[in-house]
Amino acid sequence: MVLAEPLPAQSVGQASFGRAAPGDFHRLSFTGNGSEYFGIWIVNILLTIITLGIYSAWAKVRRNRYFYGNTVLLGRGFEYHARGGQILIGRLIVFAYLILYNVLLTFAPLAGIALVLLFLCFVPWLVARGLRFSARVTSYRNVRFDFVGRAGGAFLAFIIGPILAALTLGILAPLASRWTYRYIGSNLRYGQRVFSTDPSVGAIYKTWGISAAILVLGLLIIGFIAFLNIALVSTAMENPDFLPGAQLSLAVLAVLGYVLILSIFGVAALVYRAGVRNVAWSATTFDGRHRLLSDLSRLRYTWIAISNFVVTLVTIGLMRPWAAVRMARYVNEHTGVRFDGNVGEIFSAIAQEGSAVGAEFMDIEGFDFGF
Amino acid sequence: MASDNLAFALGEWHPPGSSRSVTSGLVEAGDRLVASDETGAELAGGSLSTIDISARVGRVPRRVTFPDGSLFETDDNEAIDRFLSRKGRAGAGIVHRLERFHPRLIAFVAATILLGTLIYRYALPALVEVAVVVTPPILPRIMSATTLETMDRTLLGESKLDEARRGRIVDGFRRIASVSAAGRVAYTLNFREGGPIGPNAFALPDGTLILTDELVELAGDDTEMIVGVLAHEIGHVEHKHSLRQIYRAAGVAALIMLIAGDIGSGAEDVLVEGGGLLALSYSRAAEAEADRHSVELMMKAGLDPTAIARFFELLEAKLDDHSETSIFSTHPGTPERHKAILDLIAELRKG
Repeated sequence: MVLAEPLPAQSVGQASFGRAAPGDFHRLSFTGNGSEYFGIWIVNILLTIITLGIYSAWAKVRRNRYFYGNTVLLGRGFEYHARGGQILIGRLIVFAYLILYNVLLTFAPLAGIALVLLFLCFVPWLVARGLRFSARVTSYRNVRFDFVGRAGGAFLAFIIGPILAALTLGILAPLASRWTYRYIGSNLRYGQRVFSTDPSVGAIYKTWGISAAILVLGLLIIGFIAFLNIALVSTAMENPDFLPGAQLSLAVLAVLGYVLILSIFGVAALVYRAGVRNVAWSATTFDGRHRLLSDLSRLRYTWIAISNFVVTLVTIGLMRPWAAVRMARYVNEHTGVRFDGNVGEIFSAIAQEGSAVGAEFMDIEGFDFGF
Repeated sequence: MASDNLAFALGEWHPPGSSRSVTSGLVEAGDRLVASDETGAELAGGSLSTIDISARVGRVPRRVTFPDGSLFETDDNEAIDRFLSRKGRAGAGIVHRLERFHPRLIAFVAATILLGTLIYRYALPALVEVAVVVTPPILPRIMSATTLETMDRTLLGESKLDEARRGRIVDGFRRIASVSAAGRVAYTLNFREGGPIGPNAFALPDGTLILTDELVELAGDDTEMIVGVLAHEIGHVEHKHSLRQIYRAAGVAALIMLIAGDIGSGAEDVLVEGGGLLALSYSRAAEAEADRHSVELMMKAGLDPTAIARFFELLEAKLDDHSETSIFSTHPGTPERHKAILDLIAELRKG
């Protein structure tokens, strides 16, 4: 691995948020559109309801085939190969486990509790298997991806990391993000070629700092407003002869405050997500020499996510297909690869390890861990 | 391309497991399907039954997988469909035809909304009942123990009531608890100082009741009124209201995730919260049910059934609470409840 060698594009992602990247990056694009996806989406929902949820496995396949297939790099789309049956079997196993757990808890409580502990021990393994399934059912130019991460790494990235971040009130979140991206990015394979990620903690902290500032500033403003109204609130609580309807207005205030706090956390999280993605993807290499790039504008990404959300809510979900397509298009257009050498030659040389394809049929997927 | 074997679809062919691609055309040769290169030479082929052609999704390119594992990929979905229907197979597939952008989709939207509403109104409550019945008894016990522990640590303080006052309340509590369906052993009464939660009484799902000093003070000398409130709380436990509430919220969340699948994480959160807000209207029904329970228990125990109504009068007088029922309130408007109770008592006395 040539990771230690400084590469010219190393700092591209951090320096060029929102601007076109220099050099000959090949960008992804998204060729789907909202009205086409609307049909797929509404039929998915309708058939899922009519079949009492069974169709949801096939719905997932059609949705992913649409999104993967329209994600285009160098004129060619990605492909999603999972079959509805595989996904359904996974879901049925989870369902059976839940029933077994409930029955045991009724008739043999101790065995039920043991079952929960057993399950918790298996979570990292399940995460790793889920990631492997997702990778193996994805292909590009007839070559499958693969994922070789083990349970130990998943334990660090998905259990220790979040716990550590939560215990330190988010101060160590960048460390957790680094573990997660390193676990996913360095265990991913395409053909026999290796992806490799090592985002620097310093760069993640830079983007984290902005989110932390948004959070602190927002909470200070809310605190200030609450302070201004404290006289009002305390009168309402202490004085029994307070105006009628005081309870109602207090409830409205509480809901308003809740919404405000929620949106501040939401904005901070979105800004952080875009920033970390830029840092991590831009620190990723493929086959030791081809560089990946992500240059999402944090502001624009946050705006798209929030406006999508509002539009979806206002139209009772009917604009969701449009929103999903809009987000996919933005993210793809700000993701790219710079190939070191002739693209045609590079792809002619990539072939797949035999194991990845056959194993797909033995794999099942029950847990939806996003990939 | 050989002139007698014209390709009906153009695309790219990949050798098995390789990303190398060759410009190619799909040719029908008798009952075989063949991918051939620009010179007309066969790259791969097989009889139709051994070839896998992927289903049509939007304009996503079709995959034709040959028995040797090689792959032909084409954008020309229409050509593939024409070929398949020539062979007597369903071309685009029913699902794809349904999915096409067409005025018919409006009917699908209407059907989805209708079915969704029906599920929410009828299927969800039925599932909640099933879940309540099959819930292992250990779950409410664990839930209650942890809730009381948390509340003791954060909100509640030690009760400062004198023994005599406490004794009178406990006596009344025993009378109503022993006429309840589950009997006296099913309930334990705890005295606590309310602190920030003020005058209040509440029940945990395992039958643990908590009464705050502030409520006792508010009631003054009227012990029977406090017993009426406790009877109301016993009603919540007997009807398993908190368990139902939890299952409803979980059910709404599961429905949203299963049906919508792809609704975005932010939208998912808010829909689940919105489900919680809707659950409040359910909790108003639960309060009315607990009110009725209080009246019934008090009558059975030979106590004054209007005690709880007196409590609402007190609330109206002391807190000047004439609030109407609104979407934000967990409890029905106080005057409304008061009236409902008196109506019920009149009806029970008649019958």
